[in-house]
Amino acid sequence: MESTLSIQNLVIKFKLRGQTLTAIRDISLDLYKGESLAIVGESGSGKSVLVKSIMGLLDKNGYIDSGKILYNGHDLAKFKTEKDWLKIRGKQIAMVTQDPMTSLNPLKTVGKQIEESVVLHQNLKGKEAYEKTLQLLRDVGIHEVERRYKQYPHEFSGGMRQRIVIAIAVACNPDVLICDEPTTALDVTIQAQILQLLTNLQQKYGLSTIYITHDLGVVAKVADRIAVMYAGDIIEVGKTDEVFFNAKHPYTWALISSLPQLGEKGEELYSIKGTPPNLFKEIKGDAFAPRNQYALKIDFVERPPFFKVSDTHFARTWLLDLKAPKVEPPKVLQAFFEEGRRYANE
Amino acid sequence: MLKYIGKRLVQSIFTLFVIITIVFSLLRLMPEEGYLGAAAEKMTEAQQEIYLTNLGLRDPLIVQLGNFYQGLFQGDLGKSITYRTDVPVVDIIQDKMMYSILFGLGAVALSLLVGVPLGILMAQFKGRWLDRLGTGYIVFVVAVPAMVYFLMIQMYVTGWFGWPMLFDEYNPISFILPLISMALGPIASYAMWMRRYMVDELNKDYIKLARAKGVKERTIMFRHVLRNAFIPMAQYLPATILFTITGSIYIESLYSIPGMGGLLVDAIQRQDNQVVQGLVIFFSSLGIIGLILGDLLMAIVDPRIKLGKGDSVR
Repeated sequence: MESTLSIQNLVIKFKLRGQTLTAIRDISLDLYKGESLAIVGESGSGKSVLVKSIMGLLDKNGYIDSGKILYNGHDLAKFKTEKDWLKIRGKQIAMVTQDPMTSLNPLKTVGKQIEESVVLHQNLKGKEAYEKTLQLLRDVGIHEVERRYKQYPHEFSGGMRQRIVIAIAVACNPDVLICDEPTTALDVTIQAQILQLLTNLQQKYGLSTIYITHDLGVVAKVADRIAVMYAGDIIEVGKTDEVFFNAKHPYTWALISSLPQLGEKGEELYSIKGTPPNLFKEIKGDAFAPRNQYALKIDFVERPPFFKVSDTHFARTWLLDLKAPKVEPPKVLQAFFEEGRRYANE
Repeated sequence: MLKYIGKRLVQSIFTLFVIITIVFSLLRLMPEEGYLGAAAEKMTEAQQEIYLTNLGLRDPLIVQLGNFYQGLFQGDLGKSITYRTDVPVVDIIQDKMMYSILFGLGAVALSLLVGVPLGILMAQFKGRWLDRLGTGYIVFVVAVPAMVYFLMIQMYVTGWFGWPMLFDEYNPISFILPLISMALGPIASYAMWMRRYMVDELNKDYIKLARAKGVKERTIMFRHVLRNAFIPMAQYLPATILFTITGSIYIESLYSIPGMGGLLVDAIQRQDNQVVQGLVIFFSSLGIIGLILGDLLMAIVDPRIKLGKGDSVR
């Protein structure tokens, strides 16, 4: 498959109070044309930093230490000036932000805010831009568009505002759409609508999408592929079914085990013991090893390579090494995996 | 909107009524010598009594109040007794006000023109030398007593340029230094607030979204941040402008400007009850008008404030 965006050996560091923090540790990841890729991981695992670097929106104290972000023949990691980035931001890669309540300028009508994108990226002006904006409002499922155009963000509900944010992103006419936790701030019924909308737009406009989320439910609904991140590294990547129902990395196991659906009634939900590693310190071996009950000696010494599970499925764990002892995932998971696979086969 | 304005006006008039009544009543408690002025020593007690009766001060309080309001509606605040004997208070205020308004508005205009852009630039170059320079200036102006640099400016700058030390109505150059001196403080506070509100806004999510959609940094500044940052200032702006009428006591006395600055203090010192009463009423009206205008300006710049519809403010 042809990849649109290719991240190669990316390392991102932050300078913080005289110390250096490594937020992204040597990540390689491809985004294929037209697919939707979900990046999952807990808070602080570096998901947001990764996508921010793609748009050149890292905070001022953050920088790309090494590696490449290849897009359309450009290496985005080399971009320095605003002028460079303006060719990419919005035009090629657009973003749907997390919190619709604060993502819109409170003093401008939503119409104007969408139109700003239209004018910037579609070379339309005046009446044409206005018509296009109305069209976009319709596309994201808003009724009475002429009236809505003139309204301010505070006159919209959370779900409606998220639709506006999406309209702004789509108005840029991008190739790649990054959705940074697009549904975290919304309630469940609205979540489903927004996800449906995103899926529809992806097909209509032929977008390649990256979802960032820690909600596995969202992932299951929208993603073609999943990349699991832990402590600034991708530890498992594969097709949604593969990662869900044939997970190989103990962290992925733990992540799936903590799904409320797998918990037993009356018992406490599963949670991963311990805390994520301190990113100020150099991480040796597998970052998850100290919290990993299946950890091998080598996990504390050497970083595992990507072991190939299938053509599309890779995991960074020494458990897949030929010399490693055979370890079965926890009982609950085995049942879940089996059920999932049977369901997938049907 | 009109309904809201009407409602606010009625409320304000009521407030004003309460204030005026209280001020009036309180001034009845002042020593009566104030009404006699310099003539007090020459009069016998019986004469004083007749004089005060003629002024209406022996009537029941409610009748006095009624008379007072009657005068007030005709634009009559009474006559000065000791300050400028027998000159109507309204005329005194009017004469002095012109100078204070002139300098006050000039200073506000200057401080807005310099302070707001300074604040914007400081926010834009946060942490860089321009920001540090501005912060230094703000700290200096706020920390050093104003009198010190007012005096310095008068003493040294006039010498360097050979400008007149005192204000002279017919010499435009003599306007410059008082104006600048008056603007120094407000420049600092406008810059400080503007910087602060800009920085606040720049960290908000909608700025991140604007960046993500590919808007230029400069456009973001002017099209998105500026207006949002201006809102918190809008509310206080009219009051600030109106209150320049009250003048600056320091600068007016330094440069001998015949403005409002020292008027209230003078009137109190000379026990000129009528002038004190007139001034307090005048100042409180200004304050209330300033508040109304501030609210209206807010409503104009911030669409979230829909006045009139159930009066929900934010």
